[in-house]
Amino acid sequence: MSEIRRFLRTRSFAFALLLSMVLLVANIVVLPSFGSPSNFDTNLMLFAPFALVAMAATPAILSGGGGLDISVGLNAGLVSNVLILYLLPHGAWGSAWVAVPIVLALGAAIGLVNGLSVAVLRYQPVIATLCMLFVLQGVNQKIAGAPTASPESWTQHLAEGFGPIPGGLVLIAVPVVVWILLQRLPYHRVLLAVGGNDATAFSSGVDVTRVRILAYTLGGAFAAVAGIAIATLLQSSDGNAGLEYVLIALAAVALGGTPIGGGRGGLLGAIVGASAIFLVQNLLSALHVDAYWLQVAYGGMLIVGSVIGAQLTAPRRAGTA
Amino acid sequence: MSSPDTFNAPVAFALRTVDLAKAFGPTQAVRACSFDLRAGEVHAIMGENGSGKSTLVKMLTGVHRPDRGSIEVAGRTLSAIRSPREALGLGIVAVFQEVLVVPPRSILDNLWLGIDPLHRDAVSRGERVERASETLLELTGAAPDLGRPVEELSLSDRQACCIARALIRRPAILVLDEATSALDVATRDRLFAIVRRLAAEGTSTIFISHRMDEVEEIGDRVTVMRSGESVATRARGEVRAAELVRLMTGAEHLTDTGHAQPERPRSAETVLRASGIRLRPGAGEIDLDLRAGEIVGVAGLEGQGQDVFLRALRGAGGVAGRVVRVTPTREVEIDSPWAAARAGIVYVPRERRDEAIFGALSIRENFTLPTVGRDTVAGLVRPSSSERRLSGYVDRLRIKLGRSSDGIMTLSGGNQQKVVIARWLASQPRILLLNDPTRGVDLGAKRDIYDLLAELTAEGIAVVMLSTEVDELIELMDRVLVFKEGELEVELGRGSLTRSVLVASYFGQEQPADV
Repeated sequence: MSEIRRFLRTRSFAFALLLSMVLLVANIVVLPSFGSPSNFDTNLMLFAPFALVAMAATPAILSGGGGLDISVGLNAGLVSNVLILYLLPHGAWGSAWVAVPIVLALGAAIGLVNGLSVAVLRYQPVIATLCMLFVLQGVNQKIAGAPTASPESWTQHLAEGFGPIPGGLVLIAVPVVVWILLQRLPYHRVLLAVGGNDATAFSSGVDVTRVRILAYTLGGAFAAVAGIAIATLLQSSDGNAGLEYVLIALAAVALGGTPIGGGRGGLLGAIVGASAIFLVQNLLSALHVDAYWLQVAYGGMLIVGSVIGAQLTAPRRAGTA
Repeated sequence: MSSPDTFNAPVAFALRTVDLAKAFGPTQAVRACSFDLRAGEVHAIMGENGSGKSTLVKMLTGVHRPDRGSIEVAGRTLSAIRSPREALGLGIVAVFQEVLVVPPRSILDNLWLGIDPLHRDAVSRGERVERASETLLELTGAAPDLGRPVEELSLSDRQACCIARALIRRPAILVLDEATSALDVATRDRLFAIVRRLAAEGTSTIFISHRMDEVEEIGDRVTVMRSGESVATRARGEVRAAELVRLMTGAEHLTDTGHAQPERPRSAETVLRASGIRLRPGAGEIDLDLRAGEIVGVAGLEGQGQDVFLRALRGAGGVAGRVVRVTPTREVEIDSPWAAARAGIVYVPRERRDEAIFGALSIRENFTLPTVGRDTVAGLVRPSSSERRLSGYVDRLRIKLGRSSDGIMTLSGGNQQKVVIARWLASQPRILLLNDPTRGVDLGAKRDIYDLLAELTAEGIAVVMLSTEVDELIELMDRVLVFKEGELEVELGRGSLTRSVLVASYFGQEQPADV
């Protein structure tokens, strides 16, 4: 039993993974075409923003100290609008080689501002990033008041995928690959240590401020990848782009077993949590369930997931058992 | 981390402070601290809580910046060490009383925390594993599973991780700030052996402890601090315990604990009966008849089940057996902490900061919380009533405070503990369960707590107290239950309690070893 507990504690996304697999089967039963290869690419593309925004929310939460970035959804929305309105229509600016670095820098810069407010100015993360959310929402509605269709661009090719590799998968792979590379660096260890106990990390000589700023910046860059996914999907500017993902991202992270307290979890939890939410949304709409019930379903899943997750991951100390 | 240049100085010093001072708001934590640390010496710093030891250490480790004075270290004179990072760069590595670990991370990651820059490993994984195993083996006597999360370890082992983290950095100056209080005796002895070895290799150690025996055992010199000033430095052999106490407090109050004291008469009236307590499956059954006015010690090496036993007495569960509160008129089964509270049993936990103190609240609120119902009129709290009730305990426990509306965190550890004890005394208990109440408490406050316990037992209140301090057990207890590996090893009556018998019993020996 203790072995199982330990396994689940180190892989706290296990519950969400199980849930996702059940939901996947349910989806295929209800809607046989869901599992067909031709729909696979489309579904993956639809799923990509869920997973990417959830991944973007993860580093800030891991960094602990109440760390949270509520603004990642709208960061992605802004990136999507900037891409469609200002970069893609303008020749060389619109080429993937120029536009992608620019939007990544934009997303990272927004994350950086969040990181500075939280780690240097010491604003409460919830408040600081909520303010950023309002700012981004205002900017989005200002620049994308009237929907404008995207010109022909590389984003359509991205949607079609690269040969056998679906475009959604490529996008999801970007943060995952970055994360895998990070795990080879001390930064990943230090980030989790800061999230686990910042006082310990500080007294051990860790530059806690810099670690946290980098976490928000990294989240911002991931949000930019989510923005590319949204642009690819919508092919149009939208004043409300990203809004629907704001809370779902946080729900997905929590459902994926990453505690809001920080110090535990990773990107895999975000992906698995996002897939559970995506699949339940898909299932309920296939069953023609009223869209309002969707919200109830998210909430219910999150409560059940969090409770079960907390039970499974509760630490047990030797000597007190 | 090189040693300082030693050619010109008659006695090489590793670190010297000159008139360091630091104030927090109106509180002058350190007024003038001057002392020098020689290369390769173990330098103890003693003083009551609030005498400025912790603030001094925090200035040496880059947590606080001094208002005045200078620090000479590694051949440089600094007005301040600006961050823990800078202190570590100067070779100053500290272990604090607070057990600073990252609970979800592995032992290995905890030990090497802060050494690597963010972008590349400064030390290869192979070397990390090797040195971590080596260090922990020397410190704990066992090679642990380095991948295990620290949260699964006992308090003693977690503190051992903190010490290993410091040792692994190969410090030039090791600071142990009450770092031994969470360690079991065997680990502490191994730590002292390591400190001696490091001293021989040239590492200097600043050693802060409230335990006179530890300071006598390991300190080459002792600097005494009082009210934020360094009042004297003495070499080992030049000073007796009684004089140190006098220097620290200006008063003499340490009883001789060399031999056993006479038994006190026992009252016949049983107030609490525990029977068939098994601390782990397969362990022997433990019975205890607690009598009115009696004070019973619970002792042993760290993590031998004494903590579980004490909590079992308040119905915290997790063990087999039953606990019954006995009064002349009836018997009540204690099967939950609520039942215990209703039956007049109160428990003062060990982790003051986590389990007993409400850090954001005032002294008065911390005192009144469980009994605030008595200060209400028509459901509204009257602060004046709380104030009156508190002031009685302030006098009785000699709590030193400014205004009762100040935050609890403005008090020293000893005074916080007194407020916690006052809180529970206010509920007029008949049985008091204390979990190491004097841990990290200065001598003066300890003395006040001892006096209070004597008064309470005289009133017929029964006390069961877990203690990690041998002197305290010998001085206070009517009898001591010694635990070993989840079993009751032996019960020692006051007539047979001596330091050597007690310590020997921790290790399961009947007779004290000849030392």
